[in-house]
Amino acid sequence: MQLALVGLSHKTAPVEVRERLAFNNDALRLALKSLVGRQDVTEAMILSTCNRVEVVAESSDDRLIREFLCDFHQISPDDVSKHLYSLRNADAIRHVFRVAASLDSMMVGEPQILGQVKEAYRIAADTGTVGMHLSALMNRAFAVAKKVRSETGISQSAVSISYAAVELARKIFGDLSGKTVMIIGASKMGELTAKHLKRNGVSSVLVTNRTFEHAVELAQVFEGAAVSFEHFTDHMDRADIVISSTGAPHFVISRAVAEQIIHRRKNRSMFFIDIAVPRDIDPTVNEIDNAFLYDIDDLQQVIDENLKERMKEASRAEEIIDSEVQAFCLKIQSREVVPTIVQLRDNVEKIRRDEIERNRRYLKDLSPEQQAAVDHITKSFANKILHTPIEELKRMAHDPDGPHYVDILRRIFNIKPPQ
Amino acid sequence: MHVALLRLALGLYSVGFAHSVLTALQKKQTLFRPALACVSAGFVLHVVSIISRAMEVRYLPLTQQYEAFSFFGALATLGFLIAYAKYRIAPLSIFAFPLIFIMTFVANLFYDPSASIPSVLRSNWIYIHTPLVFLGYAALFIAFAAAIMYLIQEHALKSKHAVRFYHWLPSLEICDDLAYRALAIGFPLITLGIITGALWAQAVWGVWARDAKVLFSFLTWLVYLLLIFYRLIAGWRGRKAAYLSIVGFIGVLVTFLGANYFGGLHTFQ
Repeated sequence: MQLALVGLSHKTAPVEVRERLAFNNDALRLALKSLVGRQDVTEAMILSTCNRVEVVAESSDDRLIREFLCDFHQISPDDVSKHLYSLRNADAIRHVFRVAASLDSMMVGEPQILGQVKEAYRIAADTGTVGMHLSALMNRAFAVAKKVRSETGISQSAVSISYAAVELARKIFGDLSGKTVMIIGASKMGELTAKHLKRNGVSSVLVTNRTFEHAVELAQVFEGAAVSFEHFTDHMDRADIVISSTGAPHFVISRAVAEQIIHRRKNRSMFFIDIAVPRDIDPTVNEIDNAFLYDIDDLQQVIDENLKERMKEASRAEEIIDSEVQAFCLKIQSREVVPTIVQLRDNVEKIRRDEIERNRRYLKDLSPEQQAAVDHITKSFANKILHTPIEELKRMAHDPDGPHYVDILRRIFNIKPPQ
Repeated sequence: MHVALLRLALGLYSVGFAHSVLTALQKKQTLFRPALACVSAGFVLHVVSIISRAMEVRYLPLTQQYEAFSFFGALATLGFLIAYAKYRIAPLSIFAFPLIFIMTFVANLFYDPSASIPSVLRSNWIYIHTPLVFLGYAALFIAFAAAIMYLIQEHALKSKHAVRFYHWLPSLEICDDLAYRALAIGFPLITLGIITGALWAQAVWGVWARDAKVLFSFLTWLVYLLLIFYRLIAGWRGRKAAYLSIVGFIGVLVTFLGANYFGGLHTFQ
């Protein structure tokens, strides 16, 4: 295995450069075929997302891949070379594992990247550019990503306003099915939050707006009911969750109103989400028993704490990656080293036997003891010469540069790579 | 044999105890699966231990301090296992496992090989009165643990500072529901326990026994009556109900443990 990875990401390149190197799906297949057709590249896959373009290939020369990227996109190497990174063998393996586990993402722990890596792998497999090495690598990468996800809390908590709202609602109500949400006013954020709540089980939606038509429109989107703005508090006791985002310059829900509604609800909990600026809901509503009020800053604070938590979990994830990279390297290297040793011995033994066979007629006059001595001498001669290379090969199984030296040794002794 | 079994059970319960301590320290669920397995296995041994004690004294083994603590420990375990089977709330274990461990540990401490039973306690009433009271206590303990979880979660949500526990504590609604159901089971049990106790006393002396435990259990019962009343009539839920549930359980502890020091009939041997 001779792994080479060349790519750029949000960490090394601005979007102006990333977009020039990006591949759409059709270009991807074309590029894979053209890349694997080149000398010294036997397997390849390309990951192209809005945050990164990376080529992973079974090849001993990463310069080839750099050239290929520039050729394919017709960009002068000078424009991109400072943004590109090249990684080989163990470093490349680590990078692939980290990307799949979402440790290299812009938003560490975001779950989409694993799906994108899987899709890139599927396209390469369909195109026929994936062989034994890449499939072993990628399947391990998927398993590592899964392990990181289940053993650390890296993608556990919400890091966007709308997801934070869902997470909090779950902390209050548990199961959201059967719950009702009321949307007051219309803003993109309010709508998005309601959408996430609905996807997480909230069963009915009430919408109110100063302009009744807007309320009706939005209610249709959510298959809910519109309520007139003048009387919305009359219906509010049905709502378990209230999302308020009006443009009103003053409070839309006062403490007295909230108290009255909680009373009408027989103290069942209520979750108020105030994402309006200036705020819509009197902040002292949070002091009422069984009422929970979060404004935009409170939600942001939840997100910040979740992010801090994520960073801590990320360092635990890195430890997992470290040990997985080590285990994987050892596995593939010993898988390559052992057959190489066997073949090396076989090759030399064959030469020795052929030579004895060729000289059989000069040896036939020797006594059996003398013949045995010739056999012994040639054998120990071969063993002595092979001793150092074999010891070195065994050591290379633990060396990060091992694959490179194994490759050289194979060429010197004309040993075919294992299949 | 029953002591050996109880000590084995205690050893298994200690894994649960370790789980609670580690989880509280690291603020992260640790060791729960193995701890649950150990506590379940410990429970089986514990039940066998109580049965073998019962066969030895040929009576309900509840007249000695050793027996009472052992019995209460076993019922607390049962209460936890039932609540866990129904709600799958792992964090409940943080409260339950230490109580189970401590009760069983104290039982071990008080072990007394003598098997004499005071004649005043020799009555069939013991088979009804004591199990009712103890089962009620176990249920009220679950209500207490649910109330504590509710208050931690509620505090985290109101203060808007997510404590580390917040991520795996159950939702407020589930905590409140668990507390209410446990109360709905526990309250009738202690009510019946008190009634049977009164009938027993009447059968023996013709009057109610004037001892500390009776007084305390009656006060505790009043607290729970108040809680039921507020929940049903005034629509109390959540925080206020949780506070009252905690007060009630403190009453239970005072009744169960404290009353010993005030003398009276219920003093254990």
